[in-house]
Amino acid sequence: MSRTAKICCLLVIGLWLLMALAPSVLAPGDPLAINPTQAFAKPGLAHFFGTDESGRDIYTRVIHGAGDSLAIGLAATALGMGLAIVLGTIAALSPRWLDEIILRILEALYAIPSLLMALLIIAFTGPGVGPAIVAVGLSTAPGYARLVRSQIRSLKNSEMLEAATVLGRGTWRKSRNHLIPNALKPLLALVTLGIGQAVIWAAALSFLGLGTPPPAPEWGAMLSAGRTYLHLAWWMSLFPGLAIVAVAVSATLIGRALGGKVKSL
Amino acid sequence: MSEQTLITVKDLSVSFDGTPAVKNISFTVQAGKVLALVGESGSGKSVTARSLLGLSGGTVTASTLDICGHDARSLSDRAWQKIRGNTLSLILQDALMALDPLRPVGREINDGLKEHTALKSAERKQRVLEVLKSVRMPEPDVRAKQRSTELSGGMRQRALIAQALVGNPQVVIADEATTALDSQLTALVLSQLRALKQQGRGILMISHDLAQVAHLADDIAVMRHGEIVESGPTQQILEHPQHDYTRKLLRAVPSSVPRFTALSDLGAEETTSPARKIQDSEQHSPALSVKDLSKSFGKHLAVSSVSFELPRGKTLGIVGESGSGKTTTARMVLGLEKPDSGTVELLGERFSPSTASQRQNLREQMGAIYQNPLGSFDPRYTVGQLLTDALSRGKSKRASEYRKPITQLLEQVELSADLLARNPRELSGGQRQRLAIARALAPKPSVLVLDEPVSALDVSIQATVLDLLDRIQLETGTSYLFISHDLSVIEHMSDTVAVMHQGKLIEHGDTASIFGSPQREYTQKLLSAMPRLR
Amino acid sequence: MNTLAWVGRKVGGALVVLWLVASAIFIAIRLIPGDPAEAIMGGPGSQASAQALAAARAEYALDQPVITQYLLYLGKLATFDFGTSYSLKQPVTQVMGEVLPNTLWLSLMALAAAWLLALCFSALAMRAGRIGSQVGNLLEIIAAAVPHFWLGAVLIMLFSSALGWLPAVDNGTGHGLVLPILTLALPLAGFLTQLMRDSLSEAMGSQFALAARARGESRLKLFWRHGLRHAALPALSLTGWAFSSLLSGAVVVEAIFARPGLGRSLLSAVLARDIPMVTGIALFSALVYIVVMAISEGIERMINPAGESR
Repeated sequence: MSRTAKICCLLVIGLWLLMALAPSVLAPGDPLAINPTQAFAKPGLAHFFGTDESGRDIYTRVIHGAGDSLAIGLAATALGMGLAIVLGTIAALSPRWLDEIILRILEALYAIPSLLMALLIIAFTGPGVGPAIVAVGLSTAPGYARLVRSQIRSLKNSEMLEAATVLGRGTWRKSRNHLIPNALKPLLALVTLGIGQAVIWAAALSFLGLGTPPPAPEWGAMLSAGRTYLHLAWWMSLFPGLAIVAVAVSATLIGRALGGKVKSL
Repeated sequence: MSEQTLITVKDLSVSFDGTPAVKNISFTVQAGKVLALVGESGSGKSVTARSLLGLSGGTVTASTLDICGHDARSLSDRAWQKIRGNTLSLILQDALMALDPLRPVGREINDGLKEHTALKSAERKQRVLEVLKSVRMPEPDVRAKQRSTELSGGMRQRALIAQALVGNPQVVIADEATTALDSQLTALVLSQLRALKQQGRGILMISHDLAQVAHLADDIAVMRHGEIVESGPTQQILEHPQHDYTRKLLRAVPSSVPRFTALSDLGAEETTSPARKIQDSEQHSPALSVKDLSKSFGKHLAVSSVSFELPRGKTLGIVGESGSGKTTTARMVLGLEKPDSGTVELLGERFSPSTASQRQNLREQMGAIYQNPLGSFDPRYTVGQLLTDALSRGKSKRASEYRKPITQLLEQVELSADLLARNPRELSGGQRQRLAIARALAPKPSVLVLDEPVSALDVSIQATVLDLLDRIQLETGTSYLFISHDLSVIEHMSDTVAVMHQGKLIEHGDTASIFGSPQREYTQKLLSAMPRLR
Repeated sequence: MNTLAWVGRKVGGALVVLWLVASAIFIAIRLIPGDPAEAIMGGPGSQASAQALAAARAEYALDQPVITQYLLYLGKLATFDFGTSYSLKQPVTQVMGEVLPNTLWLSLMALAAAWLLALCFSALAMRAGRIGSQVGNLLEIIAAAVPHFWLGAVLIMLFSSALGWLPAVDNGTGHGLVLPILTLALPLAGFLTQLMRDSLSEAMGSQFALAARARGESRLKLFWRHGLRHAALPALSLTGWAFSSLLSGAVVVEAIFARPGLGRSLLSAVLARDIPMVTGIALFSALVYIVVMAISEGIERMINPAGESR
């Protein structure tokens, strides 16, 4: 990765972290403060992104929403990826018959579209933030697991490991020195790409009324509220959506800079 | 016989973004004659060939660039398209890559006709079959419907030649058309080219290997750094080379060169082998002893009852075509593949079949060198880290702790210490192979298994690596199991030779007798197909 | 492998996958704490009548041993009986039969539109210069990253509210389909373009492309005869995935554009915790995924018979 690319990536990550951890630095107001006299104010100097039906400042809400959205995205990715690493590694390292069984199960899970799987899980658990994290994590796990498996498989059969065998390295040294670090590197890119996707899925659930409940400043929930006033107050829908797109695009760009391929999602 | 000049090139220069790749070269291609352009990769020979087709992609200038009466300096795109495939055509190196893997070969051949003739569909089909017959494709009507990936190596080469011939061109350019092919396929391509020459076509042959072109070319032009350093009739070039570089290329050809005779300047000192360390083989068990080794994959019997011995400090060459089972044999010897039956003994001790822990202390006695060394290096490691890893048995990556042995290893393989901080990806092919050798030598093994170690290298680079291997054997007494499809390399490197065919070891003996008086018909066929200089 | 054996393997694999999905759902229902009958009827909050609970117990044979329940359940699925939706009081199969054509039609149109857009963009990108292709690259990434639920809203704001060109809600003419299709197709097109451009430029720079040019083919013919196939292949192998993501997207798009369909039925079923309906739709979309996968693999086999079959 070039120096400029590195600096850009770090800057972007820093900005998101700032928004997530210390939103008041960028937006000192209260995201929940209502002001009915100021309802449906157009974007302007007083309210950069306008206000919603209760007069809440959308700019403040978008900035404060970053924390929840990113946290949900991170937690879901961690869950999905953790599960995927366990399943994928077991499948890749186990004998053929067990590999075949795990592969079939993954294929079965993969056959249900992600959002449908998430909805299926919520149908059992009921709506909420926790279920949304579990739903998004579980529904992305099968795709990741298949990638982890094929990644480790191809490394396991690589000339690099054969050369290490010939040099007399035992299983432990081979795994520690070559297999694990080389398998982890592309996973890092994958995780980055995955966080972007998870933020979108989690927002989608909130949008459908199954994730974070209003009036919390969550982007998906804000879009859901904005939908009612689409013809009246376009800014209510535009800005929270732009924030989601910005997260997803920066995740894609950083993931690519880390060597991730679009094919992998 | 009046000579008809088909292509005249004077002062041809090609540059890419201001960087010259070809500088002021001149040559002619005549009907019924073969001109060979010979040089290392990067010498500009392929760029020259592409610029004759208007496909170099660079800036082309010349005082004369005449292609069968067309002034190629000022041709429109459309005019070029009329010439390509019709007046002159191209045969590329790798038939697998040079034919679209997603289309039947018949259609690839048909495309040439679509471009240049007004024939109807049925007539074109007829013509495609005729061309396939003319290159002796078996069952041409079946093969025409298959894709290149479904054909055998030989059929693929025939299809590749057919697609170049279908437009009945006056000149054929063969760009490294025999490189990396085993000897039978090389012979096939060379005989096809000879047939084209006899039909009165002009041929421009491009190769890095003088031996490949020696028997076919009428004239040879030697290229280096974008210039022709020497040119003339083949016999004159081969017997009275004037330029140092030509001499270097000639010397690099290993066939019929005795063992331990240097092929390059680097290994020049020794001529005889006074210092050769060979322990008395009477007293010691052989370095490697293989008995009745067999392996099948499903129904396919890859290796069948192979036995041989490798005496200490000597080289056993295993030669065979692709698919003959030589690589599977090597993998079983290295303990990477479990044999179905048979045993491998290393220094008199059982090495395979065995468990990883049982052979652990024997492991360091055997090293391996592959055709593509880059794949065997951890992509995260620098040169220094790779060597440290090998020296520390995987326990450390800090090069500072092993500075002295690393310097020794680098000196041994003639690599500069400046490369230590580099990633192997940044090294040249020859440097990578040296690094692989250095790494394999780190545990001081008694046996090296070398699987096609020089097949991906140009002849001149190959010469330096072979010289290096010779010198290491003299200095350390390491035994080599040397596997190659290239008979000339095997002839130069081996004390004894084993010939493999369809999984069986069909002939086995000392090098002079195998190459001098082969007993088996298959060996005789292989040897007659071997390209030789002398 | 001959074609018959291949079809046999595919059908066998599909049955195994469906069986696994069905079993997972069966286990999940039993894992919910409390009375399974209550879970089926919408959870403890739904306060189902004793009569309804008894009916559910009878339908799912809840008084029988678990293994009998399981076999009965599989037997019903084999005859396409997904049970009765408690919220709609209709057989699940009947509900799906009514709304499915809408969703399938929408998804297929979106798939076609995405392919068309991706092919056009890839072909255009070939001619673009350095800056042009950088901009194109960024546009693709953005397109691929835009969530359906926001894109739909933006398209409505733009084409319906501001410009008034297209209706936001289907009014019976074909125009109502345009925005939903675009909403689904644009992100997919961005994704496919990235794939196609990679393989296209690889193919156009390959040895066989050079050989074809040396035979006298123009760049245009090279694109038609060679480039297109190589561009299509990786995108084609992702058709199953693409279709499955379109079904996901349809849930959202049907909600935004107020279109009846599988997605909207699913959403209301989830909100009502109507387990038979939800599991029926999930199983059914798995079936659709498997069928689409098999078809796309079949096409792939036709284009590239030598391609490795796993």
